[in-house]
Amino acid sequence: MRHAGHFLRLVALVAVAVVGFLFVRSQVVPKDFGVTGHFRLSAIADEGKREARHIGSDACAECHDDIGKSWKTGKHHTPQCENCHGPGLMHTKVVAEESTTAYPDKILKLKNAIKRPTGIQECKWCHLRTFERPSTLKSIANVEAHVSEHKGTFTKDTKCIDCHNPHTTLVTFDAKGLPVKPKIAP
Amino acid sequence: MHHFITEGYVLPNQQHIYWTVMIVLYPYITGIVAGAFIISSLHHVFDKDELKPVSRFAMVMAFAFLLFATLPLLNHLGHPERALNIMFTPNLTSAMAGFGFIYSTYLFILAVEIWLVYRVDIVHLYNETRFPALKPVYWLLALGVLDISEEAKVVDHKVMVFLASIGIPAACGLHGYVGFIFGAIKANPWWASPLMPVIFLLSAIVSGVAMVMICYIIIQWFNGREVDGACVSALIETAWYFLIIDVALELLELINHAYMANEDWTILKTLVTTKLFVSMFIIQILLGSVVPFLAMGAVVVFKQRIPAAVRNVIGVVCGLLLLAQVAAMRWNVVMGGQMFSKSLRGFLNFEVDLGGREGLFAGLFILCLPFVVIFVFSRLLPLWGAVDTFPKAWMKEKPPVRQPLKGFSKFSS
Amino acid sequence: MISPHTPDDVSRRAFLETVAKTGGQSFLFGSLFVNTAMLRLPQDVASPKAKSETEVGKGVVYGFVVDTTKCIGCGSCVRACRAENGVPDGYNRTWVEQYTFYPDGEVVVNSPNGGENGFAEPPTRNMPAELEKVQPVRGFFVPKLCNHCIDTPCIQVCPVGASFKTPEGVVLVDHERCVGCAYCVQACPFGSRYLNPETNTADKCTWCHHRITKGLLPACVVSCPAEARIFGNVSDPESKISRILATNRVQVLKSYLGTRPRTRYIGLDSEVI
Repeated sequence: MRHAGHFLRLVALVAVAVVGFLFVRSQVVPKDFGVTGHFRLSAIADEGKREARHIGSDACAECHDDIGKSWKTGKHHTPQCENCHGPGLMHTKVVAEESTTAYPDKILKLKNAIKRPTGIQECKWCHLRTFERPSTLKSIANVEAHVSEHKGTFTKDTKCIDCHNPHTTLVTFDAKGLPVKPKIAP
Repeated sequence: MHHFITEGYVLPNQQHIYWTVMIVLYPYITGIVAGAFIISSLHHVFDKDELKPVSRFAMVMAFAFLLFATLPLLNHLGHPERALNIMFTPNLTSAMAGFGFIYSTYLFILAVEIWLVYRVDIVHLYNETRFPALKPVYWLLALGVLDISEEAKVVDHKVMVFLASIGIPAACGLHGYVGFIFGAIKANPWWASPLMPVIFLLSAIVSGVAMVMICYIIIQWFNGREVDGACVSALIETAWYFLIIDVALELLELINHAYMANEDWTILKTLVTTKLFVSMFIIQILLGSVVPFLAMGAVVVFKQRIPAAVRNVIGVVCGLLLLAQVAAMRWNVVMGGQMFSKSLRGFLNFEVDLGGREGLFAGLFILCLPFVVIFVFSRLLPLWGAVDTFPKAWMKEKPPVRQPLKGFSKFSS
Repeated sequence: MISPHTPDDVSRRAFLETVAKTGGQSFLFGSLFVNTAMLRLPQDVASPKAKSETEVGKGVVYGFVVDTTKCIGCGSCVRACRAENGVPDGYNRTWVEQYTFYPDGEVVVNSPNGGENGFAEPPTRNMPAELEKVQPVRGFFVPKLCNHCIDTPCIQVCPVGASFKTPEGVVLVDHERCVGCAYCVQACPFGSRYLNPETNTADKCTWCHHRITKGLLPACVVSCPAEARIFGNVSDPESKISRILATNRVQVLKSYLGTRPRTRYIGLDSEVI
C-alpha cells in the first residue's frame, strides 16, 4: 500500500462526509419520527390542532332559541344553519369576547362575523330544478314563472324570502290570497 | 400554477399541471449523463478504441450534466429547503426515495473515475503551471498527494477498472430508475408500463451519444482541428444501434396500448392524435427517428464510401435530431400524462410558460450550465487528450512529454 | 367473507371464528338479527400485514359511505369543506359530479367549480350544442372525496414519509416535512390530492381530522341536507355506518387498481370513473 496514499485521503474524505451526514441527520430528524410508522408521530396531533369552524346548529340555537325552535320543528330542518349562514366560529368568538365595545357596535360586529344570506341564491342551490335531482325534492324550473303563477310580480330584487320563511319554508297569505312578507328574524 | 382551460370533464384538482418543464428537463439531463458515460465506458472498459478521442470528453460531459441533474428538481419542489428529507427520512416504499442515494453514489463513482483519469495530469500541472494562483487548486484536486510513480499508476488502473465496472450498472440503474418513477404510477395509464424504464434508458443513451457527437464535431471545427473519421463513424454507429432498439420499444408501447384497447385507450387515442400529434408523430417519430435512422444508416452501411465532410454534417444534423427526438419523448411522457384527466373524460389545453421560475427560459438556462462547467474544466485540465495537447500558453516553456505506460495506454493518455 | 384481497385461509378462519361466536344468535334470530361483523367488507377484514389497523372491534376504524341515490347536488358539502378547511380556490377536497345520460348513449359529466355554486343554472353546463334540445334519459349526482385507501398509492410513493395513515385509518399529510414534489398528486388515481399554493405542500381531504378527533362529524357530513354522506366507526357494529354497510350493496371507485378504498358508494354507475 505504499503508493495508495491518495486513496487513503479519498477514503478519509468519504468517511468524513458519511459521518457528517449521519451527524446532521441525527440532529435534524424529529425525535418522534418513525415511532409507530414511517412518519412524524406528532403530525397527527398537529392536524388535530385546528379549530372546528362549523359549530353546529345546536350551538346556534343556544342563543337564537326562537329561530332554532321553529327551524327544528319545521319542514326545513335538514339544511343546517351554517349551510346558508356560513361557519359560525368567528361569530361565537365575538360573543365570547370581553369587549368594551358599546352595545350597538357589538351587534354590528356580530353581524359582520356571520354571512348574511342573499335570500335567493341559497334557495336555488337545492330548489332550482335540474334533471339529475331526485323527483322527491320540491323544486321549480323558473323563479319568474313561479312568482307569476302565485300572482306576484317578479323584479330583479325579488327574493324567495319575500314570501317564504327560510327557516320553516312556510308562506302566510293575507285576506286577498296574496303572500305576506314573513318575519324571519325576531 | 396555472388554471388551464379544459375540454370535457376534468377532475377539479387536475386543472393544473403539477409537473412542469422542469420535470421534462430532469430525465433529459440524467439521460445525457447516462449516454455520455456509456460512450466513455465503451472505450475504457470495452476497448472500443475508435472512441478514444472523445472518451475523456464524454466522461467530463457526464460529470458536468450530472452536477446539474438535481437543479430542475430543486427548482420544482414546493419546499427546496427540505430537499434533504429525501435522504434523512427516505420512505423505502417510494420509487422516488432512492433518488438521493442512487444519485450521490453515481456522482461519487463518476467523480473518482474522472479524478483517476486526470490525476497524473493534475500533478504535472501542479508542478508546471505558469499561474502560481492555480497551484493550490491543483494541490487540492490531487488531494495533496503528488505520487505519480509507475506503482501508483498501477493502483490507479486497478481501481479504475473496478469503478468502471460498477459505473455501468450504476448509470443504467440511475436512468432506468428515472423511467421507473413514471412507469410505476398505476394511476396514470399513459405512464404505467414496465417498458418505461427500458425506454428511458435507451433514449438516454441515444441522447448522450448525440450530445457527445455534436459537441465533438463542432468543437473540432471551431478550433480548426481535424475531426477523427473513425471516431465519428463509431459514434454514429452506436447512436444508430441504440436508436433502433429505442424506437422499436417506443412504438411497441404505443401499439400495445392501441391493441389492448383498455378503458383508457379512448382518451389516449385522442391524446396522441390531437394534443401530442406534432410532438409525437412529427418530431419524435418522423424527424427524430425515421430521418436519422436513414441518414445514419447510410453511414453505417456505406462506411468509407461516404465522404468525411458529409459524414460530419450527418453527425451534427442527426445528433440535433436525436436530441429533439429524446426531448420530445420526455415531453410526451411527462406532459402528455398530465394533459388528460384521470376522469378519462377531459383534457387540459396546456400552454408552456416562457418566463417564470419553472418556465421554458429557466429550463434552457439550466441546460446551458453544464457547458459552463465543461468550459471552466477545459481551462483547468485538458479536455481531449493528454497534457501535451493542452493550450501551451498555460504551461511553462516546455510541456512534459510522457511515455505511455505499456499496456495501460488508454488510461494514461 | 371470502375476498380477493385476503388469503383464503385467513378469511376462512375468521369466518369460522365469527360463526362460532355468533352462531347462537344467528341461528335464533336468523332473519331478524343482522350481525354486521359477518357482513364486513374486504376492506375491513384484517389482513395479516395490516392487522392492527383493520381489526374489527379493536379501536376505532373510520369509514365513509356516499349514498349517491340521495345526493341532490346542492353543493353544500363543497362549500362547507372550503370554509372549514380553507381550501384555496381552484382546488377541492371534495366535489360533486353531475352525470347526465342522453338517448344516443352520450354521457355528459359536469362539475363546475367542483359543484360549489350548485348545478342548475347556466352557464355551468359543459355540453355539446346538439344535445341542448334533447331530453336526457337519466341522471344523478356523485359526491367525491379522498377514499382513504388501505393500500394507498399516495403514501407508498411519498419519498420523505410526509404522507401517513393514522391508527384509525385516516390518510394525512405532514405539512412540516412535505417537500412539495407532487409525486403523491400524480399517484392518486382519484384526483383527491393537490399541491396547496399557499403552503406549497401536498394537501387533501382529512375526513376533517380536527373535527372527528373532537367528537364532531366532518363538515361535509354535517352540512349534507340529504343524508347522502355517512361517516362513522366501522368497528362498532352499532354505529350508523355499520348498519348501512350491513344492509346495502356498496362499491368503491376504481376497484381494479387494488387500492382498497375506505370510502364506499351506494348506487354507483358503471359510467362513474
